[in-house]
Amino acid sequence: MQKAYKHRLQGIPASPGIAIGKVHLLSGGIIKIEDRDIHQEDVEKEVEKFVTAIQQAKQDLEALCNHANQKLGENGKIFDVHQMLLDDQIIIQQTIELIRSEKKNADLIFFQQMTKYQKKLEQLKDNYLRERAADIVDVKRRVIRHIQGKHHNYLSTLPEPRIIVARDLTPSDTILLDRRKVLAFATEFGGRTSHAAIMARALEIPSVLGLEHLTDLVKQKDRIIVDGNRGEVIIDPSTELLEEYHRLQSEYYDFERKLNYVRELPSRTLDGKDIELSANLEFPDEIESVISHGARGIGLYRTEYLFLARDELPSEDEQFEAYRSVAEKIYPNSVIIRTADLGGDKSPLALQIPEEDNPFLGWRAIRICLKETSMFKAQLRAILRASLAGNVKIMFPMITCIEELNQCLDLLAEAKQELSTNGQAFNPNIEVGTMIEVPSAAIMTSVIASKVDFLSIGTNDLIQYTLAADRGNERIAYLYENFPPAVIRLIKQIVDNGHRKGVWVGMCGEMASDPRAILILIGLGLDELSVSPIALPAIKHIIRSIRYSEAAKIAQKVMQMETALDIRDYIEAIMNEKFEDLPFI
Amino acid sequence: MIEKQLRIPNRLGLHARPAALLVKVAARFQSDIFISKDDQIINGKSIMGVMTLAAEYKSILSFKISGEDEEDAMRAIEELFARKFDED
Repeated sequence: MQKAYKHRLQGIPASPGIAIGKVHLLSGGIIKIEDRDIHQEDVEKEVEKFVTAIQQAKQDLEALCNHANQKLGENGKIFDVHQMLLDDQIIIQQTIELIRSEKKNADLIFFQQMTKYQKKLEQLKDNYLRERAADIVDVKRRVIRHIQGKHHNYLSTLPEPRIIVARDLTPSDTILLDRRKVLAFATEFGGRTSHAAIMARALEIPSVLGLEHLTDLVKQKDRIIVDGNRGEVIIDPSTELLEEYHRLQSEYYDFERKLNYVRELPSRTLDGKDIELSANLEFPDEIESVISHGARGIGLYRTEYLFLARDELPSEDEQFEAYRSVAEKIYPNSVIIRTADLGGDKSPLALQIPEEDNPFLGWRAIRICLKETSMFKAQLRAILRASLAGNVKIMFPMITCIEELNQCLDLLAEAKQELSTNGQAFNPNIEVGTMIEVPSAAIMTSVIASKVDFLSIGTNDLIQYTLAADRGNERIAYLYENFPPAVIRLIKQIVDNGHRKGVWVGMCGEMASDPRAILILIGLGLDELSVSPIALPAIKHIIRSIRYSEAAKIAQKVMQMETALDIRDYIEAIMNEKFEDLPFI
Repeated sequence: MIEKQLRIPNRLGLHARPAALLVKVAARFQSDIFISKDDQIINGKSIMGVMTLAAEYKSILSFKISGEDEEDAMRAIEELFARKFDED
């Protein structure tokens, strides 16, 4: 009897849906270099192999560069350095001469040459130049792979749509994805709120993360199933299993289609309470998805992408263009632009952020902006200028104390003054808010609320800091898979204190995109939810199916519970009862 | 042969972009262009060489240019430094 599958792995469901396809394995893997003597008569062939490999590498880079330019505008600059390295005649000539004089294989000689330079750079004091060693490694590996005739790994040059399997996917990796070629992600590292998860949801593709040993268990082009609903990956499934999953897949498409009815309908409870339902935006080209899923505005426009995968900081004008464009497209609805939340795993080269032992507890987000004031003010001015193009609001990330907020407001006032002096117009009444994503800010909500127009709860970081659990660490993901009572109580505190000071309180963390959390969040009194576009239809459907009065009672009950498991069981029972016609909720 | 010393005018030093500019300019000329800093000498037409110099803000580079178009080459390079490599 044929075995149903080679492996069945359980991981963390990071983005819904079912994908069936062939694997494209991203190997960050170890390259093996042999030491071979080449016969005199084969030496020129070896030289040719090398020269061809350089050409092929250059073609790769051109494709990557074009792709990055399309996606990011001017921002694909980082690949320029790689291209220049491949044009470096000194390196090329030296390598060719050494192949001829030493009569050794091309990959060995090139490896030796490049490693020499790489080591030189690695020893430099200057942070920025040390980073260039990484570029040399990248180019070295790229050329060697071509010399050795191995697959190249560009996500933009896949021959057909594939499922991407990797140990991890960094923000820089995912910036360059061509979503038409990517069916799903499956990685060894990460959890629901890690960057790869957020990207998968933004791209609307299924994803399962936290799959230990995954890259050891798959080969290039293996057939696999990625079930982002249940968090499962099945490697090499039997024909029967494939049929079953094809069926599940079309059921899921039906489910999505069914929910489409809510698109133009208001997000209002049965007893008439309006909940503002907006969407999170990771890249500007996701805006079509935001609109097509029926979002009222953008509750979180993340601006970090403008600062990453490039050598220099984005100019004020470049930023203004990006913000203006989004504001126009979403008008008359509003867009909340969050100032740069950099640091940790989002580190732009131009800032030379030093390596820290605890980047999530270190110099990041608003702290960087308050030090790099000319960078911060450039961003503020760009946002202010864009405020004329639509309904724009500003939001500051990671505020931990009122001093930080005061400094931000002072710098904002300076930015306004600078524009006025320059005769540049902006909306003087632009609304300003802040994220509450750190326990100290949550505790100080009343004080903070008295200085802003709105608050938005960032549950990804808030849960992380409150529970002392790294959101990228799949081993402890269980700590916040469900609804930790500490977090529920904290949210209530934030909402109540915000309301007492007359400001609206929303949520833009991943919890707001979890259908199971909606009853609680509505019941706790949240005014706005900013969610991933694909989650929007289901959430609007839920809002329209309940009474606020019921939700409030549910929230009250949950506030009395002591364990995450109790809360989960209680909520799941209610959801199963109320929404049994929607199996994927 | 022309020998001249130039000081790096950019705050961030000779990082990737200005290094690339320098190499592009050098490549336009026939002359041999060597750059030294402290006891390191590199070929000015090699991006790798220029990067490994790690020329930070205010450091001094010694240029040795020899060839038919050495004067044009030196002038072009001086101009580049004077323009601060088009930064700030």
